[in-house]
Amino acid sequence: MGRTVVVGIISGGIYGLMAVGLVLVYKGSRVLNFAQVEVGTLSLYAAWEVTTAHHMPWLAGAAAAVALAAVIGFLFERLVVRPMGDAPRMTVAVATVGLLTMMLALEARFFGPAPRLLRPPIAGLGVNIFGVFVSPSQWLSLGVVLVVGVGLAVFLRTTDFGLGVLAAAEDPTAVRLVGVRLSRVSTFVWVASTVLSAVAALLIEPTVGVIAPGALAGLFASGLAAALVGGLTSLSGAFVGGLVVGVAEAMVGRYIHSAAVPGVTALVVLVAILGVLLVRPAGLLGKAPA
Amino acid sequence: MTGSTVGAARPSAALARLRPLVAGRRGDILLVTVAFVVLPPLTHHAMPRLLKGSDSLVIAQGVAMAAAALSLNLLLGYTGQISLGHAGLLGVGAFTSGILTGHHGLPMWVGMPAGAAVAAGVAFILGIPSLRLRGLYLAMATLAFGYAMEQSVFRFPVLTGGSAGVPLPRRTIGHHLLLDNAQFLALSLLVLLGLWLLDVNVCRTKVGRAFQAIRQDEAVAQAFGVDVTRYKLLAFTLSGAFAGLAGALYGHGIGFVNSETFGFQLSLVLVIIVVVGGAGTRGAVVAAALFFELFPLFIKALHGWDAIVGAMVLMFTIARHPGGLAGMARERAEHRRAREARRRAEAAGEEIEDAGKLPSFAIPTQPPRAKGVLLETSGLSVRFGGLQALDGASIRVPSGGIVGLIGPNGAGKSTLFNAVSGHVRASAGTVQFLGEDVSALPAHERARRGLARSFQLIGLAKELSVRENFLLAQHQLAPYSAGAALGYTPSVARVEASLDERAREAIAALGFERFTDTPVRNLSHGQQRIVEIGCLLATGPELLMLDEPSAGMSPAAAESLAERLRDLPDKLGRTVLLIEHNLPLVLGVCDYLYVLHLGSVLAEGKPDAVVRDDAVVRAYLGEAV
Repeated sequence: MGRTVVVGIISGGIYGLMAVGLVLVYKGSRVLNFAQVEVGTLSLYAAWEVTTAHHMPWLAGAAAAVALAAVIGFLFERLVVRPMGDAPRMTVAVATVGLLTMMLALEARFFGPAPRLLRPPIAGLGVNIFGVFVSPSQWLSLGVVLVVGVGLAVFLRTTDFGLGVLAAAEDPTAVRLVGVRLSRVSTFVWVASTVLSAVAALLIEPTVGVIAPGALAGLFASGLAAALVGGLTSLSGAFVGGLVVGVAEAMVGRYIHSAAVPGVTALVVLVAILGVLLVRPAGLLGKAPA
Repeated sequence: MTGSTVGAARPSAALARLRPLVAGRRGDILLVTVAFVVLPPLTHHAMPRLLKGSDSLVIAQGVAMAAAALSLNLLLGYTGQISLGHAGLLGVGAFTSGILTGHHGLPMWVGMPAGAAVAAGVAFILGIPSLRLRGLYLAMATLAFGYAMEQSVFRFPVLTGGSAGVPLPRRTIGHHLLLDNAQFLALSLLVLLGLWLLDVNVCRTKVGRAFQAIRQDEAVAQAFGVDVTRYKLLAFTLSGAFAGLAGALYGHGIGFVNSETFGFQLSLVLVIIVVVGGAGTRGAVVAAALFFELFPLFIKALHGWDAIVGAMVLMFTIARHPGGLAGMARERAEHRRAREARRRAEAAGEEIEDAGKLPSFAIPTQPPRAKGVLLETSGLSVRFGGLQALDGASIRVPSGGIVGLIGPNGAGKSTLFNAVSGHVRASAGTVQFLGEDVSALPAHERARRGLARSFQLIGLAKELSVRENFLLAQHQLAPYSAGAALGYTPSVARVEASLDERAREAIAALGFERFTDTPVRNLSHGQQRIVEIGCLLATGPELLMLDEPSAGMSPAAAESLAERLRDLPDKLGRTVLLIEHNLPLVLGVCDYLYVLHLGSVLAEGKPDAVVRDDAVVRAYLGEAV
C-alpha cells in the first residue's frame, strides 16, 4: 500500500507538470495543446544527441532539450497561434494536432523508429522507502517538481505579469488596462508550456526507459486526466490532479494484473476523463461554472 | 389483374412508374455505371500492365482511408462533433471482421457488415457524452476513448489475440479466398462508392439539414423542430458504421491487424485529412485522403520530408483558411458570384441595399387551426445560479392578434421566451400551449406543436443558403424516417420535391429569388430578419414568438415592419407574441400588452392604458423627483 502510494506520487508529480503546461495554455489561449507531450519527446532527442552522441554531461543535454522546447513553443505561437487571432478555438486546437504530427514527422525523419536510450541523470539504486527503492533520478524528479511548482505559483501570484497571465482568459480587457500586453501573455504561456513539457519528459524518461516517436502518449493522456481532475483552469488543481491520477494508476496497476486486463492504466485515464467531464466538469478544485 | 400484366400490356405505364425511381438519381446512376465500366479493367487479368499487385494494395489502403475520412466528415464536417478517437471505431470494425473471418471461418460478406454494425453500436455509446459535451470537452472524451481502445480493449487476449493480433483473410465462399489485390481494390472502390451514395442521400434530405443545423446552432435546430439528441446519436451511429466498414476494408487489405494498427496517430491523420481537405465537402475529403495515402507512393525520394511538409501545410492551411482547401475555393467562387450579381443589378438599375419597404409575408403555408387561448403561462420562474431571471410570470395569448411584451433591459422578456419555447428549463410554473401542459416537453416537441420563435441574433443556420434554411424550417413537415432518407426512396424524393417547391414559392413571395442560393450570412441584418420570419411562417405555426424583430433595421424598414406585422393576424390569421424595444411600433401594432419588470408582470392591458400606468412609467424612467 505505502509502496504503491510512493510510486504514484512520483509519477503523479510529473503528470502534474504536464497538466500545468496544459492548464497554462488553456488559461492563456483557451486552447488544448495536443502537441504538449510530443514537443517534450522531440526535446528528449536533443538531449540524446548532446549526451549520448556527443558525450556531454546530462545537464548539458537537459539544457539543450529545454532550449529546443522553448524555441518550438515560441515559433508555434508566433507563426500559427497569433495569426489565427479570434478563430474558433477548436480550429486552433486542430492546428496543435498539426504541430503534433510535425513533431512525429521530425522524429521519424531524423532519428527513425528505433528506440534510443538516455542515461539517467544520476545513477544508483537509491533509498528504500516503504519497501520501494526511490532512485536518485526520482528524488531529482520530486525536487524539480516542487521547485518548478512553487516557483511558478509565486511568479504568477506575486508579479503583475503573472496575475495578467492568470486573468488573461477571463478578462482580457482588464489585463490590457493594467498594462500587461496580451501578446506577451500568449508568448509566455506557449513557451512555458513547451518548457514544462520538456522538463516532464526528462523526468519521466528514466521510468519509461526509452525514447521513441510517440512513446510518451501515455504521459499526455495521464497529464490531460490530471488537468481535468484539477478543473482545467487551476494550477494547484493540476498538481493535485496529477497526484490523484498517479496514485490511482499505481493502485489499479498493483491490484489488477496487466495479463488479465491489458492497459489497465489507460482505462483509469478513460474513467477519470469521462467521469470528470460528465459528473463534475469543474474538476476537484476548479471554479464551478456560473 | 396483377400489376405485372398491366405493365406488360402498357409499357408506357411501366415507364411512368419507373420515372420517380430515377428522378433525382441521375448522378447516382451515372456514377454506378462509370464504376462498372472502369472497375473490371483495373483487375490485372484484364490489364496486367496498368497496375502492379502491390500498387493495387496501396491504392486499396487509400480507398479505405477515404472511406474513413467520409465517416469522420459526417461527424465533424456536417454535424460539427469532433472525434479524436476515430481509429478506435475503425479498429472495432476490423477486429470484428477479423474474428468472424479469421477465427470462425465466415466469409467477408458476413464479417464486414458485422464490423460496421458493431462499430455503429460502439459509436452510439461514444455519442452519449456528446449530448452534454461540446468542442474541446468532446475532443478530450473521444481522445480518451481512442486511447483506451488502443491500449486496453484491442489488447484483450480473448477478443483480439492480445499483442499477436488477428488475421483478416479475404474469405469469400467456404474456403475460397479472394487473393488478388486487384480484385480487392475493385471491391474497395465499390464499398467507397456505396458510402459515397449514402453520404449524398444524407446531404439531400432532412437528415443532412438537421446535422448542419446542429453544427451551426443547437438552439436554432431545436426551434425548427429538430430533435438534437436523436440526430446527434444518429450522426455518431452512421459515422461508426462507415468507420467500421472502412476499418474492415483496411484490415482485409493488409490481411492482419493488431492494437498498433489503430493507434492514436491514425485518429489524428484522419482529423488532418478532413480539416485540410475541407470539413463538410465530400469530394475534397475523399481527394485529400487518397492524396495523403498515395502521395508517398509516387515520391519515394522524399525520405520522410513528405510528412514534415504535410504537417506544415496543415498548420498553415488552418491558420489562414479554417475552412480547409475546399472552403478556400468556395469562398473565392462566392466572391466572384457576389461581384457578378452586383454588376448585373447595377446594370439593371436595381436597388442593392435594403429597400425601406419590406416584402409581404404572404407565404403559402397551412392556415392556423387553433382557436381560443393559445398560450398560457402561470407562475413561470427561471433561476440562473443566484439570479432570479423570471419570477412567477403569468401571461395569456388568445388566438388572432398581437400580444406585446415590453419592459426594461433585464426584465426577463427573452427568458420568458426561452422558458415558453423550452430553450431553458423553468424552475417553477407551467406552460400551457393549445390547452396542453407542455412544461415537460423538449424544445423541438414544442416547435412541432406549432410554437415558432425567432431569436434576437437571428435564428437561422447562417452558413446555409436561403433555400436550405427554408428546407430546414420545414423539418417537421418531412415525415419520412432516417432509414428511408438513406435509401432516398421514391416517397422521400416526392416529399423533398414538394418541400423544395414550397421553399421556392416562399422565397418568391418574399421577392428574394436572387438570394435563393446565397448563404444567409451574406445578407444584411434586415434581410436575414425577413428570411427568419419567412422561415417561421413556412412551418405553418399556431403561434409566432418574435424577439425584437425591428432591432438593427433602419427607421424606414421598422415602419414598414409595423405594417407587415399587422398583416400576420389581419391577413394571414396568425397569432403573434412580440418582444420589442421600439415603443411606437409596439403601441401601433399590439392588441394587448404585458409589461415585465424584474421577472414578473408589472402591468397588463390595452396599450394606451398601460403606457399611462404610473408603475410602468416609474419602471422605465425611474422615480419622479
